[in-house]
Amino acid sequence: MNDRSVTILFDGNGRVYEPGQVLAGEYRLESVDPGSVKSIEVSVLWYTEGKGDEDMAVHEFWQFSADDGDWIDPMRPARFSTTLPNSPLSYDGVILKVRWCVRVRVFYHRGKDLVGQQAFQLGGVPPVEVSTS
Amino acid sequence: MAPRLRYYGKKRGDRRTGSHTLGSAADALFYAIFLLIGCGGLAALIVFLVVPEWRVNNEFVECTCTVTDRQIAEKEGDDGKLYRAEIEIEYEVGGVTHVKRTYDSATAWDRPGSYAGDREAAQQILDQFVVGEERVCWYDPADSNKVVLVRGNRWWIWIIFIIPVSFIVIGGGGLIYRLLHWGKSAEYRAAMAQRGADRNGFSRNGRPDRTFPNIPAGADITNSPGTTLAYRLPISASPGWKLFGILLVCLFWNGIVSVFVVIAVSGHLEGKPEWFLDVFLIPFVAVGIGLIFLFLRQFLVTTGIGPTMVEISDHPLAPGGQYRLFVSQTGRLQVNSLVASLVCQEEATYRQGTDTRTETREVCREEVFRREAFDIQRGFPFEADIELTVPHGAMHSFKAEHNEIQWNLIVEGDIAGWPDYSRCFPVIIRPNDGRNEP
Repeated sequence: MNDRSVTILFDGNGRVYEPGQVLAGEYRLESVDPGSVKSIEVSVLWYTEGKGDEDMAVHEFWQFSADDGDWIDPMRPARFSTTLPNSPLSYDGVILKVRWCVRVRVFYHRGKDLVGQQAFQLGGVPPVEVSTS
Repeated sequence: MAPRLRYYGKKRGDRRTGSHTLGSAADALFYAIFLLIGCGGLAALIVFLVVPEWRVNNEFVECTCTVTDRQIAEKEGDDGKLYRAEIEIEYEVGGVTHVKRTYDSATAWDRPGSYAGDREAAQQILDQFVVGEERVCWYDPADSNKVVLVRGNRWWIWIIFIIPVSFIVIGGGGLIYRLLHWGKSAEYRAAMAQRGADRNGFSRNGRPDRTFPNIPAGADITNSPGTTLAYRLPISASPGWKLFGILLVCLFWNGIVSVFVVIAVSGHLEGKPEWFLDVFLIPFVAVGIGLIFLFLRQFLVTTGIGPTMVEISDHPLAPGGQYRLFVSQTGRLQVNSLVASLVCQEEATYRQGTDTRTETREVCREEVFRREAFDIQRGFPFEADIELTVPHGAMHSFKAEHNEIQWNLIVEGDIAGWPDYSRCFPVIIRPNDGRNEP
């Protein structure tokens, strides 16, 4: 039961995307019992890291629920695809960082939910160079 | 293996490593307690204030009584003695004679609120009654021992309702919000909030434009046309308003401090110096003097140094883009240096305990213009045409609830015999659409 995990793969093993480009890939659930999954949420989102409180926004959100009649088969990989927005671009600043990722959250009928996420970079903003002088 | 429920959490911004379920439950419990207190308070108000008063006004039966005595009743309160007027009356109901001390419904029910600290008010009520005179009274048909000498509606009762209703609104609203989001993920909540904002036509930043999410539209920057170039950039804080703000703070601070200074000086003049007060006041007086100095400095900058105008050929800007900039400075000044820079700063807002703090960090500064040692004559403003190139790879402007990336054109002047000054003109940078790629 402890080996449950979510694997997320982007098509072509991409890591860097430009605004307007299509981000596509698949996710698969490892060591998850069929019938134990109540629902799955797949999000393409950005969040902030750094000194400030966290901001987060979801660009694309899919929800599959067994209660709503969605067919959830943990044994088979599922695909996702979205056109990425113009902003905000990934950013690695001094007291603020903007991160993009695909996050898959699996809710079980019983027990704690399982979360897996795969980061990617939107745009090509270089990291801020911190002056040491 | 991590425990299922953590009772404590390490704070990382809004993220906590503790149990989300336990946190939500604690939140819900907090709001539920608020709601219960509000409902309890509302019920108590209705039962103990509204219903008795309504019954006195609508159900009590009128009869005639004789005033037999009068007195001011006293009792000890937390802050000293409390008083109420008590009129002793004799009245007859169904052939039975009753003798009661009463006045209004609060006194008739012997409520704690019938007592007050104002003895004179109680005496004024007492003075309205003369022993031996006949008066009208109203008794409770269900319990003829309950009798009052005055009726009417006390308007302030309805003001008290604000307190329990506030508790009910906060507690009920919070509880409903918590229950609606119970078991929902942060992503689900964010997606629903986003859809709600899109339906309303407004994003978090109050802009309906979803082409560039989380980038301010900057409509207020382009609504003023320039005389030389396309747009005249608005200044972020007008020197006049800044001066007014400093003046208010200065007056407020020094107004309070001056009271204590007067007390301290009076003590010295009367030969009874309070040395502890003197020492205690030193840092406060120092801050007051600093504020006066700051006000005078800002006054000189506002009145002596004329307005700075910045116009730009296009807006919003893009990384790698080249733009014309027109800077104008008026006044009668001997300028040591005048510098214009494009500056990027990160701004992060976070909670620390009960405080909300904001930290800013300058991460990029590109000097776009510098001129040294020149004079500006009155009526002949200094004007400069500048070429501005936004750095390739510059991050775009960004605005979220707690984090922000701001770009500003900053004009800084070093004037001989005057305080240095700095004026800030916000601009918006959007991601490159490919036109300005190297």
